[in-house]
Amino acid sequence: MQLSSDVLFSIAGFPVTNTVITTLITDVVIVALVLMVGRAVSLRPKGAQNAVEAVVDYFREITESIAGERASYIYPWVVSFFLFIVISNLLAQFPGFESIKFRTLTSGSCGVPLFRAATSDLNLTLALAVVSVTATHCLSIRYTSLKSYIARFITFKLFPAFLFLGILEFTNEFAKFVSFSFRLFGNIYAGEKVMATMYNLCPLGLPIPFIALELMVAVVQAMVFALLTMTFMHIMTDKSH
Amino acid sequence: MEIVQRFGLEAKLFLFQLINFLVIVFVLKKFLYIPLKRILDERKNKIEQSLRDAENAKIALENADQEKIKILLEAKSSADKLAASAKISIGEAKEKAVAEAEQRSEQILDDAKHKAAEEFENMNKQIGKMSLDVSGKVISKVLSDLFTDDEKQKLMIRALEKIDEQIAN
Repeated sequence: MQLSSDVLFSIAGFPVTNTVITTLITDVVIVALVLMVGRAVSLRPKGAQNAVEAVVDYFREITESIAGERASYIYPWVVSFFLFIVISNLLAQFPGFESIKFRTLTSGSCGVPLFRAATSDLNLTLALAVVSVTATHCLSIRYTSLKSYIARFITFKLFPAFLFLGILEFTNEFAKFVSFSFRLFGNIYAGEKVMATMYNLCPLGLPIPFIALELMVAVVQAMVFALLTMTFMHIMTDKSH
Repeated sequence: MEIVQRFGLEAKLFLFQLINFLVIVFVLKKFLYIPLKRILDERKNKIEQSLRDAENAKIALENADQEKIKILLEAKSSADKLAASAKISIGEAKEKAVAEAEQRSEQILDDAKHKAAEEFENMNKQIGKMSLDVSGKVISKVLSDLFTDDEKQKLMIRALEKIDEQIAN
């Protein structure tokens, strides 16, 4: 298993990789969930609405407990990150997910996996990191004013320490791209590596505890990404910071 | 550059994932969060309203209980008053009825006495008449052998006149 995803075929110069296929499946699952729940919401929840409501309400309450009234514009981002990451992570835990092979011109007779965990592709995790950080900064400008936003990084006070703190803040924001994207990518990719190794060592029985571990990692990583986004959004939209 | 290639970073794939996620966020926000938020708020308001109603109902129940106790106390007090006045009325009615009964019995007694006196007088008159007839018959029987018919007639008339005078007296 290599670090980069495998290109299955190309459409008008666009390389369709196995992670793109999984991303599209994740989209289909999310849209199906939206159609199932969003179109028939009722005061007495049942079925899928219960589960979705529980997730949305959980994040809304956590966000409200931290960010107060600013929660209304923070939590939609948080829930979106969580749902997208957790669904794509859990899809990869289906038995035989990576066993289905697709033969390409360059793959030889063995072929390449048709599906691969979407979050084990750095393109996706980096895109999620960019969206998270950019949305955080946009919300910061919108809710604390441009002047206050710029003052976080550039201060006009002559004391040299403030200038140094500004540079640190600036570096910190760029570090977020790396931390967000590589944390998620690294955990999921490493998990897949571990699972592949276990299946190779002893396919019967040995992978079971690791499947449980990977299921936990799938949810925990989604939570970590969502909660970090929430924390950064809260800090950046708070006028006192 | 080599690291970028090793991780498979590619601008097209990166942009695809970026746009794809933004679309998903839009879809979720538009078709899931807004209806869900509306429902959650509605439910929250309904629960709050129900709690308020329950609180009001509790207060109303307490008021009703107090009102009940007040009404019961008033009812008891008025019942006591009624019982007391009924006792007085019964006594008065009893006395009145006894008085009326006594008066009525006296009247009946008077009437009976009066009627008895009248009856006695009538009886006396009838007895007088009867004794007059009997006397006439006795006299005529006694005198039939001693006197002539004319003498008998005169004597009888005189005796009857005498008896009549006696009765009248």
